[in-house]
Amino acid sequence: MTELLIDPNIRVWVFLPIVLITFFVGVIRHYVSVLISSQKKAEITQIQDSQAMIRARLLRENGKYLTPHSFAMRKNFFNHEETGYFKTQKRAPVAQNSTAMLTDMVKGNFINVLPMVIIGGWINWMFSGFVTTKVPFPLTLRFKPMLQRGVELASLDAAWVSSASWYFLNVFGLRSIYTLVLGENNQADQTQAQADAMTGAAMTMPQDPKAAFKAEWEALEITEYHSALKNVEKDMLHHAFGSDVSIENSIRQ
Amino acid sequence: MSGRLTTKTGEIVAYSEAAIRGNISAVEYCRTSMAALSGCAAGILGLNGLLGFLFYFLSVFVLWLLVLAKSGTQWRKFFINRQSLLTNNFMGGLCTYVLFWTFLYGMVHVY
Amino acid sequence: MSYNFKEMCWKDVRDQFRKWREDNERRSDEVIQLWEALLENHVQKTGNERHLILEQVLIAGFDTSRLDIAGKCIETLSIEFPESMRVMKFEAMRLEALQMYEEATDLLDEIISKDETNAAPRKRKIAILKARGMRSEAIKDLSEYLKTFMSDQEAWHELCGLYLAEGDYSKAVFCMEELLLHNPHSHLIHQRIAEIRYTMGGMENVEIARIYYSQALKLNPNNLRALYGLYLCCSYITNSRALGSKRKEAQKMAQWALETAGVRTISSSKIPSNDKLVSSLECALGSLDIKSN
Repeated sequence: MTELLIDPNIRVWVFLPIVLITFFVGVIRHYVSVLISSQKKAEITQIQDSQAMIRARLLRENGKYLTPHSFAMRKNFFNHEETGYFKTQKRAPVAQNSTAMLTDMVKGNFINVLPMVIIGGWINWMFSGFVTTKVPFPLTLRFKPMLQRGVELASLDAAWVSSASWYFLNVFGLRSIYTLVLGENNQADQTQAQADAMTGAAMTMPQDPKAAFKAEWEALEITEYHSALKNVEKDMLHHAFGSDVSIENSIRQ
Repeated sequence: MSGRLTTKTGEIVAYSEAAIRGNISAVEYCRTSMAALSGCAAGILGLNGLLGFLFYFLSVFVLWLLVLAKSGTQWRKFFINRQSLLTNNFMGGLCTYVLFWTFLYGMVHVY
Repeated sequence: MSYNFKEMCWKDVRDQFRKWREDNERRSDEVIQLWEALLENHVQKTGNERHLILEQVLIAGFDTSRLDIAGKCIETLSIEFPESMRVMKFEAMRLEALQMYEEATDLLDEIISKDETNAAPRKRKIAILKARGMRSEAIKDLSEYLKTFMSDQEAWHELCGLYLAEGDYSKAVFCMEELLLHNPHSHLIHQRIAEIRYTMGGMENVEIARIYYSQALKLNPNNLRALYGLYLCCSYITNSRALGSKRKEAQKMAQWALETAGVRTISSSKIPSNDKLVSSLECALGSLDIKSN
């Protein structure tokens, strides 16, 4: 392996600045997004729908703690053929391109895509063609185009890293550091934010309440009542007063 | 919020989901710090190749032992299972570790 | 708990307040005392936390009827956040505390008309109805509210209390069951349902009560109240016209529950050698159970 001698000035003027720039851009991105993100205004029907969905889900999950009568009563409220909640509530699908959503999307792009392009492009332009560092482990030749972007030298060992690639290494490696510095759910992690943007407003109501209602209706329809409290007395004696098994037997006689 | 989990024996264990999530995020905090710090150490020591990765495995394992020692015999109170404590976010931690390792190795040994 | 004011500085008070906020403790008396003694002059130093502190103090002010303090806090907040709905809600609460119910309701209506998704002013309106003793109107409004916000646990709990006050037990049970769906592992909710069922009376309900008491005991073996409830249910069944085997089983269960309750009372009691007290209490309580006719 040929040893390369690198000018210490590269360390001070290329290597370090890239680390600092990536880190602080992430921090700034976090605060900018906090600054310009608007609070989502929900329609009252949306709130009602999502709360109804929560209630139906809880009924499915925890309905076994109710008495058969209470369970049937609630199931009827949601699923009755004529008067059931999921049958009677008719919701028009939410308009896809309302202005509020559009501004949200523009803002999202503004925060996520723009800095990525600008900073990436700027670093590529500013620090192009430097070999910055060397990863301390051997790599196969396949990594050459990945790590040596901007430095096309056939004879260079694959372990050397160019400035552009050093930037991308930083972008991915600093992700968990942001959680450390900024707390969870931060906006600095752009890959995460992009995934969120794809799924849309995940926390609020799904886009089409009609489909969601139908799914919940189906799920509730096939839910059968199984009481969880059938053998509770035995369980109680067994679990809570484990040592008193003899008592249990004497009671059961 | 609370969740339920059925163990192998068919016994139902009830746990508080919020509390479990809080515990896991606390451990996650430790893991990230550990990955960054051990990365710095490896870089300054100038560990090369396989030795550096072994150092990462070692530090993950040591952290796992430390967490278990901290929670003691009562670990069931805090976590659902011990294995996930060891394996959770292993690759994410490795990413951070490699970054810091490369960074300090570059700073100290390359130039 | 008492605090030595002289040894505390405003930072300790701030931390104490924070802890109370996080644990959802009201502690209104202490909050007001500490506020007046220490924090009032340093509130500007707490940064953004001061808004939360001011809210906490003004609620405590209402609780302890220190309307002067509450008014001052509202004033400070409304200077910083003019037109804020949250501050408007506090203003409505102040009117409420002054028993100017009409004005408070008007103000709350105004907030609702501005932001109809805001649940807090709706709940305050119901609280006003309750404070004026208009229980049936409160029930009507609260039911209406729950049609929209149907997973609001607090509201279901309140409705349960209102129905209990009206003596409408079957509806109260319904509300409590709604809470149970949210917290299936809370022994207190199980215990509450059992209590209401037992109060409703009738063989079927007492059977259900017995099941829920058992579940409460399973979740928390130290729940003495549930243990005693179990005893009552079982002795009710023993004295009923149920099948012979069932009655026999219930009798044994009742005996066991009573014995366990006795043991637990003695072991957890702080009074030494209280056997005599307990046995006399047992006699007194034993005559309370419902005899079947």
